[in-house]
Amino acid sequence: MRQVPVPAFALLLGVLTFRVAPIEPVVVIGLAGMLLVIVGMVMPWRWPIVTAACLFTTNHALALWAMDAPVSIFGAACFGLAQLGLLQAADLRRCTRAATVGSGVVRVQIARGIAFAALTLASTMLGTAMAGPLSAALPVTVAPVLAAAGALGVVIALAMAAMSAGRGPSG
Amino acid sequence: MTWRVTPLTRSLLTVIAWILSLAVLTARPDLFVAVLPLALVLATLAVRPSLPDYLVTHRISSDRVFEGDTVTVTVEVTARTAAPLMELYEPPAAPGAVVSGNHRAVMTLRPGQTARWSYEVSYPVRGVYHLGTLVVRVRDSWSLRWAERRHVEGKRVRVHPRSVPLRALPRPRRTQTSVGDYVSRAFGEGIEPGDIRQFAPGDRIRQVNWRASLRLGTLYVTQQHRERNADVVLMLDTMAQVGTASVTTLDAAVRAAASLATAYLARKDRVGLIVYGGVIDWVRPGSGRAHYERIADSLLRADVVFTYVTKDLKLVPPRVLPPHAFVVALTPLLDRRFTQAAVDLVGRGFDVLVLVVSPVELMRGTLGASSIDQLACRLWTLERRARLDEMRRHGLSVIEWNPGEPLEAAIAGLDRRRHRAIVAR
Repeated sequence: MRQVPVPAFALLLGVLTFRVAPIEPVVVIGLAGMLLVIVGMVMPWRWPIVTAACLFTTNHALALWAMDAPVSIFGAACFGLAQLGLLQAADLRRCTRAATVGSGVVRVQIARGIAFAALTLASTMLGTAMAGPLSAALPVTVAPVLAAAGALGVVIALAMAAMSAGRGPSG
Repeated sequence: MTWRVTPLTRSLLTVIAWILSLAVLTARPDLFVAVLPLALVLATLAVRPSLPDYLVTHRISSDRVFEGDTVTVTVEVTARTAAPLMELYEPPAAPGAVVSGNHRAVMTLRPGQTARWSYEVSYPVRGVYHLGTLVVRVRDSWSLRWAERRHVEGKRVRVHPRSVPLRALPRPRRTQTSVGDYVSRAFGEGIEPGDIRQFAPGDRIRQVNWRASLRLGTLYVTQQHRERNADVVLMLDTMAQVGTASVTTLDAAVRAAASLATAYLARKDRVGLIVYGGVIDWVRPGSGRAHYERIADSLLRADVVFTYVTKDLKLVPPRVLPPHAFVVALTPLLDRRFTQAAVDLVGRGFDVLVLVVSPVELMRGTLGASSIDQLACRLWTLERRARLDEMRRHGLSVIEWNPGEPLEAAIAGLDRRRHRAIVAR
């Protein structure tokens, strides 16, 4: 049972990309990602799963860019949730490998995942609705710079949060 | 206990950075949205959770077992505060092997909830093993941080050598004055009938042999043979050993010593132990079940300690090696100093039986099937036979035992050979 979520999320990532661009290169890259996921499940390494997640993202980005697909907020949120699910499920699988697993562990994880997915989708929809009028007020030339700066800021902020969490007080 | 970020956090950061880079490069807003769930989860790092409070109880089913028996380890965790994901791990002390269940557990606990987890571990070789060191790793809700703590509840498991029942035992030539199972030639208190003689003042009425008295017209009494016990001292050679882990000559000798000790103690003999090696250890002769525990405790600690110094048995107190004691020396005959010590004991008037644990078959198992290896084993066997003959010439009773065969078969018929040797001398 604990083996199922990891390939299921990987398959979902592949399908979401294939829906955007049903072309052969997307399938090939998706299969390469699946292969990495299987390697990550069989071997005790963590890097194949992270690499697979990056490969699925690259595949998705290339598909969106090549097909010049219309923006789908719901699809993008689903893709992000599937990425999170893949990484979380792989981590839980590693954690529970060769271990006696309590009855509540999987149930709690599934319940938390579903609640978070619902919350994320709701907040994304809300954010999209608010972003429409806000983007009209933004100058076109500033937008890419603002996007890049925002992205860098998010990464730095998250990295700092992670570093500060690692240096937490002892108790 | 300190919170530390998990590898999952680093993985999430990597993927977020990658998605954002691609989003900027391809100028696709979808990818900015795709990063949102990951970023939201990572944003929970800004909230510092309190360290979970819990109570761990560690229990073992038995602290004394025999080789190959299983010990059930039960761990009970009671959470005072919520523990979203708790990993517990107990390394089994080598060479212990988990035979049922897992020595790792993962659980989720609500406040006040108690969870129990158990597994069985088996120890194939005698020894004292430590259990009760538990590593507890608690993760936060999204497994982004963990905090680790070690719980040490020192538990010792004593794994005793497995003994086999022995019906026939080498009989000591000399006995002691205490009551035992050996029928003496001398008359006295006992249950074994000997001779009859005329009644004398002081004889008890229950000793009167009524049938003989009626036939001969005067009172006759039945005399009984005395029943004595013996002092048996097991001398274990820990100078050297050969073989693979758990199948060494020393392990075989220890199992044989445990079997002999059990059998002699069951016959009301007093049994002592001398562990003769780099370090000399001993247990004074005694009897009873509690005494067996003392011998077994000493046996399970017995190990080879190499030394160039020859230990003199004069160091051993007379209480440990009492006069008229029957010494059973268990040795693989790998070190001549032990042989010399056994010969010295014969010189001091002790009745010595040498039980030679043959290392040849154990060694053959570790070697290949090449003709040179087989030839070497045959030469070694011949050399050992010559040494055994030399020991017999020194007045030692010697029997060779291959650990792959039953011990009882090796010692069966030994008494007849010992009797013949005495008559010949």
